[in-house]
Amino acid sequence: MHHQFRSAEGPVEVTLAKQGEIWHLGEHQASVERDGRMMIQLANGTSGYATVAKVGDVWWVHFEGHTFCLERIEPGASESEDGGGLTAPMPGKVLDVLVEVGQFVEPGQTLMVLEAMKMEHRILASTAGQVTGVHFTAGEQVQQGSVLLEMAETED
Amino acid sequence: MVSKVLVANRGEIACRILRACKEAGLTSVAIYAANDAKSLFVELADHAVLLEGDSITDTYLNQSQILEIAATSGADALHPGFGFLSERADFARAVSEAGIQWIGPSPNAIKRMGDKMSARITMRNAGVPVIPGEEIETEDEEEALLAIEQASTRVGYPLLLKASSGGGGKGMRAVDRPEDLLEAARSARREALASFGDGRVYLERLLTGSKHVEIQILADRHGRTIHLGERECSVQRRHQKVFEEAPCPTMTEEIRSAMGKAAVAAAMAVNYEGAGTVEFLLAPTGEFFFLEMNTRIQVEHPVTEMITGVDIVREQLRIAAGEPMSCGELHLRGHAIEVRLYAEDATNNFLPAIGPLAVFQPPEGPGIRLDTGVRQGDEVTPNYDPMLAKLIVWAPSRAEALQRMRRSLDEFVVLGTVTNLRFLRELCDVVDVVEGTTDTTMIDRLWPDGWTPSLPEGFEDGALMAAAVAESAGLHRRTTSTTDATGDSGPVSPFTTLKRRYP
Repeated sequence: MHHQFRSAEGPVEVTLAKQGEIWHLGEHQASVERDGRMMIQLANGTSGYATVAKVGDVWWVHFEGHTFCLERIEPGASESEDGGGLTAPMPGKVLDVLVEVGQFVEPGQTLMVLEAMKMEHRILASTAGQVTGVHFTAGEQVQQGSVLLEMAETED
Repeated sequence: MVSKVLVANRGEIACRILRACKEAGLTSVAIYAANDAKSLFVELADHAVLLEGDSITDTYLNQSQILEIAATSGADALHPGFGFLSERADFARAVSEAGIQWIGPSPNAIKRMGDKMSARITMRNAGVPVIPGEEIETEDEEEALLAIEQASTRVGYPLLLKASSGGGGKGMRAVDRPEDLLEAARSARREALASFGDGRVYLERLLTGSKHVEIQILADRHGRTIHLGERECSVQRRHQKVFEEAPCPTMTEEIRSAMGKAAVAAAMAVNYEGAGTVEFLLAPTGEFFFLEMNTRIQVEHPVTEMITGVDIVREQLRIAAGEPMSCGELHLRGHAIEVRLYAEDATNNFLPAIGPLAVFQPPEGPGIRLDTGVRQGDEVTPNYDPMLAKLIVWAPSRAEALQRMRRSLDEFVVLGTVTNLRFLRELCDVVDVVEGTTDTTMIDRLWPDGWTPSLPEGFEDGALMAAAVAESAGLHRRTTSTTDATGDSGPVSPFTTLKRRYP
């Protein structure tokens, strides 16, 4: 499973694998405890419990006396419903619209930039496709879940 | 006679006082602003009365409204806590004149200690050493500047300009060279006038490398004025204490006894009643100088309670009721440390932070005390002071107390709001702290360009992994814990076999 986060140092990509109840990230391992905490075993031998909480798009993690804020970068297009509307992950303001109706885009291409709680969120295309609708312009406020853009997947 | 106490404060200290009232068998009344309706202290009070208005001025600082609530609720005593109206002599007088017992010293004592220049003069007359310096009484700008210039040659450099009505570092300027004096004096006067409506500043020699050491005082109406030993609060950022301990690690029996005597003399000079604190600067030479007197309960009072066994707030209630204080001969026992947990970003100049307390899990175990006004699920707002809690530990020795503090801070989990937890934890490893040689400039000296956490290899990987697994496992959609993770419902509950109907 693939996730993108933004930490203090910048964006990070994380690809997890799961075998039985054990999650793997490279040589690190984790398992989910019954109380929702996580047992983390790092490759270097350090192990401990992590406590997590999600507030908005941000995962807060307490691990070994340190607290981390990791903002999850939404994977842009939803894989669901008919080619898919792209929705706002949280309430905020449109900073920039980078595409026009009719434009063809590549997977991972930035379509729109939002600002919420003083942080930027990029709305990315998850697949190749054609933009069929742009519903907001720069400077407009959006509510969480607002459909920002619409795309039709290109067949290949 | 005191039977019903109105607590004119909020948050952590209100909780502390309300709990003391309950233990003393006194009825309590809390007052709260609308944005505090769900706060812990409102829950702890026997009665809680809503303050009309939105701003702090209209609510917690609104003397007439608070007096009215005191009268209608039938309160016969009022505890001001710290901050807000606690050092307002006019309020103390109005409370007394309304026939309500003010839990604290007389308006006259508050007034004489509240004005820094008059406090210096009072102390000097009582034979208490004050920091070498000069008072400048004139209000006139040009006259004052001339007098400051003349005084500066006698006081010497580096020196400190301080506002007579000052506090919290406002109207305070350090001056290293004569050529910077006039500009610093003008700006200190401007700031003092804007903040306190009183532009008078005075000069003190800047004593570098000194410790901030203070003596806790208790005085009752039966002729007893005692001190409860010292606290050291040298570790400060932006003139605000973050790490406090008792006893002071470099204290000698000789200095303690001399400082204690000076503090008692200071209290007696103003006919002090109740709990108070006399602050000193302790120079590396062992000389000490009067800094100021706080005529109220202090944030860091718990460390003294831990090493003396005296419940200071309980004694305040007793003394206000006209009873003699209950503590007998004192013996200092072990070592206590307090840290102040703030919602603030230690990596960004300690700027206050806001957010939800999605997780708030304090440490547990022997020798640990938490004084807080929040609980998990609360929201940290920009409306009030960002202090979330005071974590206090006690242990038989200083080294053990420090080790216990490290362990406690590692266990403390706060998620959803940025806090200074890690900063506090790393303070415990600083050489000056470990050796007890802290002075008031330590934080600025150690981190002149700001603090950044030192993160061991691999820890961020662990956190990223935790976040990724949590996202994949859908943990944010889970409400409660035990059963849904595995589908295992645990041991069979005997109650499931009972047939009960409600109501």
